[in-house]
Amino acid sequence: MTSPYETLGVSREATQKDIQSAYRKLAKKLHPDLNPGDKGAEDRFKAVSAAYALLSDEEKRGKYDRGEIDETGAETAPRHYYRDYASSGDTAGRYESAHGFSDFADADDIFSSFFSRRSGGQQQRQRGRDQHFSMEIGFLDAANGTKTEISLPGGGPALDLTIPPGTRDGQTLRLRGKGEPGFNGAPAGDALIDIRVRPHPLFATDGDDVRYEVPISLSEAVLGGKIRVPTIDGAVNVTIPPHSNTGKTLRLKGKGLHKSGGGHGDAYVSLKIVLPQTPDPALSAFVESWADGKTEDPRKGMGGQA
Amino acid sequence: MNDREFCEHLDIEVKVLRIWIEQRWLMPREADSGWLFEDADLARARLIQDLTGPMGVNDDGVDVAMRLLDQIHGLRSRLAVLMNAIRSQEPEVQRLILSRVEDE
Repeated sequence: MTSPYETLGVSREATQKDIQSAYRKLAKKLHPDLNPGDKGAEDRFKAVSAAYALLSDEEKRGKYDRGEIDETGAETAPRHYYRDYASSGDTAGRYESAHGFSDFADADDIFSSFFSRRSGGQQQRQRGRDQHFSMEIGFLDAANGTKTEISLPGGGPALDLTIPPGTRDGQTLRLRGKGEPGFNGAPAGDALIDIRVRPHPLFATDGDDVRYEVPISLSEAVLGGKIRVPTIDGAVNVTIPPHSNTGKTLRLKGKGLHKSGGGHGDAYVSLKIVLPQTPDPALSAFVESWADGKTEDPRKGMGGQA
Repeated sequence: MNDREFCEHLDIEVKVLRIWIEQRWLMPREADSGWLFEDADLARARLIQDLTGPMGVNDDGVDVAMRLLDQIHGLRSRLAVLMNAIRSQEPEVQRLILSRVEDE
C-alpha cells in the first residue's frame, strides 16, 4: 500500500495548507464526474480522497504517523457518482445539453435532427428561466403597500404588481410564471423584481422602527398639550407633557414598519422647539424681565466658560 | 424524495437548495406536492458539493463546470447512439467508416 503522503505527493512534514492544495490539484484532475469515460479515475480519486480525509484530520494524521492506524479508513458505503446516472436514459435528458454541438450537422444535413435533438430521444419538459428586474418605489408605497401596474422590458402585457406593506429596500418580489416560457409544456420561470426604496425627506428607517423630527412651538414646549403628528400611515394626536425640550423623544407604539413575521415596529418622534416666525415684542419683553433665564448656562461643562 | 429529505441527505439548508435550483444546477421534477428528487439528483448535488467544498471552485466556476459537463454528457450520449448505429452496420461498412475516420 502507498502511504497517504505518497498518494497526495507531499512530504511527511507538509502543512495542512500544502495538503489541501495538493488535494485540490489532484481532485480537479481525477474527479470521476470530470472524467466521465475514464474508469481508472474513480479508483485514483478514491485513493486521493481517502488520503486527504486521513491527513486533513490532525488527530487521524497523528495516529497514522504514530503507526496506530494504517492508510485505509473505515470502509464507507460505495458512492454513486453523477456520471453513473448521466448516461442512463431517463435522468440524462433533464440535464443533458445539446447546446453547442448542433454545428456537427447543418440544418440541411440529414444528421441535423440527430445532433440538435435533446437527450435520449424524448423531448424534455424544462421550466423556463427566471428573469431579474429592478424597480424603484416611493417610501410610503413601500411602507403601506400598494398595487401598481408594471411592464417588463422586452414587451408583453402590463402586469399587476402587489407591493406588500413593509417592503424593504433590496427586497425581491416574485411574479410567478412571468419569467421566460417553459420548454415543451413545462411551466414558465418567474420574474424576480428587485425593489429599491427611495428615501423619504422626513421618515428615516431604523430596522422595523421609523425615526423623525417634529417641530413644536415654544408654548407647546413649555405648557405641553395635544399636537397632530404625521406618521407613515396618516397623522395622529399625541399629547406632549409640559416642559418638553428639544430632543425629547416620544415613542408611538406600532407606528413603525410592518414586520415580516407580523406586527409593527414603532415610530420615534424627536421634538424640536421652533421660535415664532417673526419676533414678538411681548415675548422679548417677558424674557427681558425673566431673571433666571439670564443666569442659566445650558453649555455648562462644554468648556466654553469665560 | 422531497426537498426536506433531500436536504437532510446532503446536510444542506433548503435556502442553498433553492439557489442551486434557481441556478439550474439542479432541475428536479415538479409534482403537485412540490419538487421530487431522484438518486441522480442526489449524485449531482454531491458533485456540486465536491466542487464548492474540497475543490474550492467558486459559484461562477460551478456554473461553467456544470454547463460544460451537461454538454459533455449530451455529446457522449449522441456519440454512443452513433457508435451503436455504426456497429449495427455490415462489417464492410464499419471498416469503411473506420478507415475514413483514421484518415481525418
